[in-house]
Amino acid sequence: MVYLDYSATTPVGYEVLDTYNRTNKDFFGNPNSLHELGVKAKNLMNSATKQIAEIFSVNENEITYTNGATSSNNIAILGVALQNHKRGQHIITSKLEHPSVYAICNYLESIGFEISYVKNDSEGLIDFEDLKSLIRPDTILVTICAVNSETGVRQPLKMIRQIVKKENPNTIIHSDMTQAVGKVSVNFHDVDLATFTGHKIYGPKGIGVLYKNSNITLTPILYGSGSVNMLNPGTPPVPLIVALSKAVRLATTDIEKRERFIERLNLKIVDALSKYEGVMINKTKYTIPHILNISLRNIKAETFLHALEENEIYVSTNTACSSGNMSQSVLAIYNDKVRASSTLRISLSHLTTTEEVNKFITTFDSIYKKLSGLHE
Amino acid sequence: MEKVILIKYGELSTKKDNINFFLTKLKDNISYVLKDDEATIDYDLGRMFIHTRNIDRVLDKVKNIFGIHEINISYIIDSIEFEVIKEELLKLLKEKEFKTFKVETKRSNKKINSTSVELSKNMGAFILKNIPNLKVDVNNPEVLINIEYRLNNTLIYFEKIKGLGGYPVGTLGKGLLMLSGGIDSPVAGYMAIKRGVKIEAIYFESPPHTSIEAKNKVKELARKLAKYNHEINLHVINFTEIQEEIYKNIPHEYLITIMRRMMYRISAIIAGRRNCKILINGESIGQVASQTLTSMSAINEVVKIPVIRPLACFDKLDIIEIAKKIDTYETSILPYEDCCTIFVPKHPVINPDKERCREYEKLIPYEELIYKAIKEHEIIKLGELKNKEYEDLL
Repeated sequence: MVYLDYSATTPVGYEVLDTYNRTNKDFFGNPNSLHELGVKAKNLMNSATKQIAEIFSVNENEITYTNGATSSNNIAILGVALQNHKRGQHIITSKLEHPSVYAICNYLESIGFEISYVKNDSEGLIDFEDLKSLIRPDTILVTICAVNSETGVRQPLKMIRQIVKKENPNTIIHSDMTQAVGKVSVNFHDVDLATFTGHKIYGPKGIGVLYKNSNITLTPILYGSGSVNMLNPGTPPVPLIVALSKAVRLATTDIEKRERFIERLNLKIVDALSKYEGVMINKTKYTIPHILNISLRNIKAETFLHALEENEIYVSTNTACSSGNMSQSVLAIYNDKVRASSTLRISLSHLTTTEEVNKFITTFDSIYKKLSGLHE
Repeated sequence: MEKVILIKYGELSTKKDNINFFLTKLKDNISYVLKDDEATIDYDLGRMFIHTRNIDRVLDKVKNIFGIHEINISYIIDSIEFEVIKEELLKLLKEKEFKTFKVETKRSNKKINSTSVELSKNMGAFILKNIPNLKVDVNNPEVLINIEYRLNNTLIYFEKIKGLGGYPVGTLGKGLLMLSGGIDSPVAGYMAIKRGVKIEAIYFESPPHTSIEAKNKVKELARKLAKYNHEINLHVINFTEIQEEIYKNIPHEYLITIMRRMMYRISAIIAGRRNCKILINGESIGQVASQTLTSMSAINEVVKIPVIRPLACFDKLDIIEIAKKIDTYETSILPYEDCCTIFVPKHPVINPDKERCREYEKLIPYEELIYKAIKEHEIIKLGELKNKEYEDLL
């Protein structure tokens, strides 16, 4: 099997799984319980949180555990909207977000909020001038993802923060960092709220994080008992949390070294695929090497995906969450409907081997020849 | 030009003959805190320098060390020539955005002919000439340029970061802190550490009347103090039997007074064994029945060791403010019962009579009980270290 869909999800790391199993077995107590078993579980959970907080240089109380990135995005964006709707009802986002952000924004729009979509240039970079002009006194939130999930375009969040806070210091900044954490170095201090999830960094599915700067107040969208986790109440899933903490630690170690290795694999594929007339490489100078997006001119992406699948090679069309539609991100960058209508996403990992890449390249070649002949 | 962390001593520099003792201790304390960082430290009688590549991380750690009056991010120039310094300064200034400035010069190298005022003036003129649209503002400058001419080199720094002050931990010997789970005692411990006292802590638990949560809370508080104290030994005394005996045999209005007398006795013995010269606690005059002057006197009479009460004259709100600053407040207010809050009489005596205390105590075999409690007491060493039990899980 050649798995090249690491941006959809990742296999759980062996050590992470071991942590998960052992925590389930040895620390099954409810951290809200007063007795020793509960206290043991709680101490372990707190140490796990402390580790995550230290890795990202934030405070422990700024970490909220959620069910995943979609939950984190909901708690963050709806929380800001509910908390600040008297101050303003204007939200800015980009055209390069994860579908969950659009779903939330669409809902907010339906109940009276105003959503603006900031433009980006042909490299995928947010148009700073446009962003500046969109910010108003009633802009309560700017939400822009750190790395676009389909194309891998990375946004300069520090710069975005400077622009936003200069225009309106009260505007809150949220970033979906799901595709950035564990791939490239991120700085939570560039934003007020940040989202990421475990299963993209070799952690378990069903656990995510919302970072919330302690100066920001969110109105909770979920209510329950226990005062430990105000934004996502209920019994904390200690084994998932501890496993996540381990995954974060492992994923943020040697990040630059891994990135350089992945860059080499990426270039190898780009070199090989550039020679096909019907292949367009959707890569700009702001894309990270872990994600490689291509467009097929005359072949349906889904057909190509299934042909690769027959050879046990797994890639995506668009993102796993939005398969079936035109790639909104590629459309936003290239403004080319043909280009956006048939895209494949190849996503790489430090676990990917050169042999796997070679197998992909040769298999791609034979499928391409077969399928492009059919369509001509 | 090297970027370093510059440390100024403040009160320490008033020491004469034994200043080296204080400075070596300060250096040791800094080394201890920076043991995981790549950093080297050197010093003279006026300044200490930390050389490291991780300026930000080291700075965060150094901010929590006592005996430091002021910290600056400083640039060392290996020259005392005005011509060299001005060019280097210009490079630094070009990276900054500002409209007004002021130059302040110190000249510990008296071989330099110009006075400090002249040096400042000349440098100011040079800056005005070379960076457009600047103004000098001596009262409220956006950038304060500090230049120190030393024997062989020159220091330049801008921002001044206030240090914690006080004395290097351990320079004044050891003390034993009576640590409850409340707001006051951690603050009292902090203040003693600030004056150079290395502390150990003693905690009285009464299981099953008090929970493991309560004990963990105290451990957490001790761990927070360990940040300033390097690490901390927590002595845990099982107080259940003594407390139950008191409750069964002694008139209830005297419960607290007798209980406190027992705690003092035990603390004094532990202090003696651990070479602690003083007891420290969080008592504040008048705060509760056991902290009236008569109560304090009746309780204190059972020990000879000096009892230091750093918070004696503090208002509660001021104590809370410090507790928040040192990050113990949130832990202190967690709602677990400690041994001072169980078995509380409805009307504790406000003006206990010493004679009666002595009489009542005869009703229980307290010496024997104290001996037993001390013999069986538990010592927990707390640092900022991770818990070994699950370190490999993370």
